Amino acid sequence: MTFNAFLSLLHGAGVTISVSLAGIALGVPFGLALALLRWQRVPLLAPLATVYVSLLRSTPAVTLCLLIFFALPVIGIEIDALSAAVATLTLNTAAFNCEIWRSGLMNFSRDQIEAARTFGMSGPLTFRRIIFPQLWRTCLPSLVNEMTLLIKSSTAIAVIGVAEITRAAIRIGAQTYDPLPPMLVATGIYIVLVLVFVGLQRFTERVYGHAGGAA
Amino acid sequence: MTDTAVKANDISVLEISGITKTFDDKVVLDGVSLTVARGQTVCLLGPSGSGKSTLLRCVNWLERPDQGTVLLCGERIGMRKGGVVPMGNAELARLRMRMGTVFQHFNLWPHLTVLQNIIEAPVHVQKRRRDEVIAEAEALLENVGLADKRDAFPSRLSGGQKQRVGIARALAMKPELLLFDEPTSALDPELVGEVIAVMKSLSQAGSTMLVVTHEMGFARETADKVVLMDGGRIVEQGDPEQFFGNPRTERARQFLQRYVSA
Repeated sequence: MTFNAFLSLLHGAGVTISVSLAGIALGVPFGLALALLRWQRVPLLAPLATVYVSLLRSTPAVTLCLLIFFALPVIGIEIDALSAAVATLTLNTAAFNCEIWRSGLMNFSRDQIEAARTFGMSGPLTFRRIIFPQLWRTCLPSLVNEMTLLIKSSTAIAVIGVAEITRAAIRIGAQTYDPLPPMLVATGIYIVLVLVFVGLQRFTERVYGHAGGAA
Repeated sequence: MTDTAVKANDISVLEISGITKTFDDKVVLDGVSLTVARGQTVCLLGPSGSGKSTLLRCVNWLERPDQGTVLLCGERIGMRKGGVVPMGNAELARLRMRMGTVFQHFNLWPHLTVLQNIIEAPVHVQKRRRDEVIAEAEALLENVGLADKRDAFPSRLSGGQKQRVGIARALAMKPELLLFDEPTSALDPELVGEVIAVMKSLSQAGSTMLVVTHEMGFARETADKVVLMDGGRIVEQGDPEQFFGNPRTERARQFLQRYVSA
């Protein structure tokens, strides 16, 4: 494996990281919005969110990616490969994040919400001041788990020609007739990425984890 | 600080009339009427399932009664003028803000410190100045004997301490009416005294209080009026001396007997 080949793998890693981070940054809040719609049983929107989650959870990321990249132009929406990649990961992870947020909301203490109500707190204020600060702490491990799944499934975007880690590795292997070294390096990069995420989760829990426990 | 001649003529702080509430087929409240005058401590007694807690929940409209009205200082709760249109959340919140509630299970917010629990609603709901509210909260903590727990999280407190924080949190809203929903029922027996002591001093300081309780001693010594509920109705009400010494109804006699022998 040449130095140039190694550079192209690193470039692939850069693409995987930035596309994944974009998917996480958009998909986590989007999932929360979906979860809130369902939790609050908002008329019309809550059933739509339910359908969305069922559909997206049962669509493979590769299929979704192809659908977005090749089908959207048919209805007049031009989209470049990188945007299609980010959209794929966002829409996919949002469905799973929705379920994580929702289970956190459903298990949230009714007593605490009731206390907030009797003290005159509005719904949005209760969410911002009472629910969310505790919710994200309980949901964090599951959310990070979903993030690591997203990083690994992000290789689906190779199907529309985005040169992420795995695609770069395949290309190098095809050029050199020696697929083992690039594949090993690619695997190593994934492992490092996932370890970094898990490490960040541990760190966050250590710094912000003090306020757990029942009142 | 107790009732003066002027205050005696004041409008009732709380006026409940003809409250009915049914869950599915079960009648939980059956035409309950009750008034609490300014500065009064009224104790609601009765066996479990008699409707005491539901009545309290109807007062701050956590539970919507099927019939009847609740007036806080003459203002109707839950319904707009005319009594047909339900209040919006904002209007309801404005009225709830004027009542402080103390819960059986404390319902403190575990992610906030003791001080943060107390100042949360005054700062974010009543929009009062933070430094002012903090000073008041510190004074309240001093009063309930927990000045040293200012920065502790609720999970580090005993049940009695949690409930005293709960009382301080309710007082920080400067409410016109304090509602206590079995404030000592979830406590270890040896922790009941510290909470009762705080409630007594509040009562003596002239707070208006409606207290659902099983603490007969507290009711006897502190209440201005004792109300016995059973099966969703008020069976007997009167001053504690008469109620405990010489109850008028057979039901009250039975109820008291069980508590004396227990």
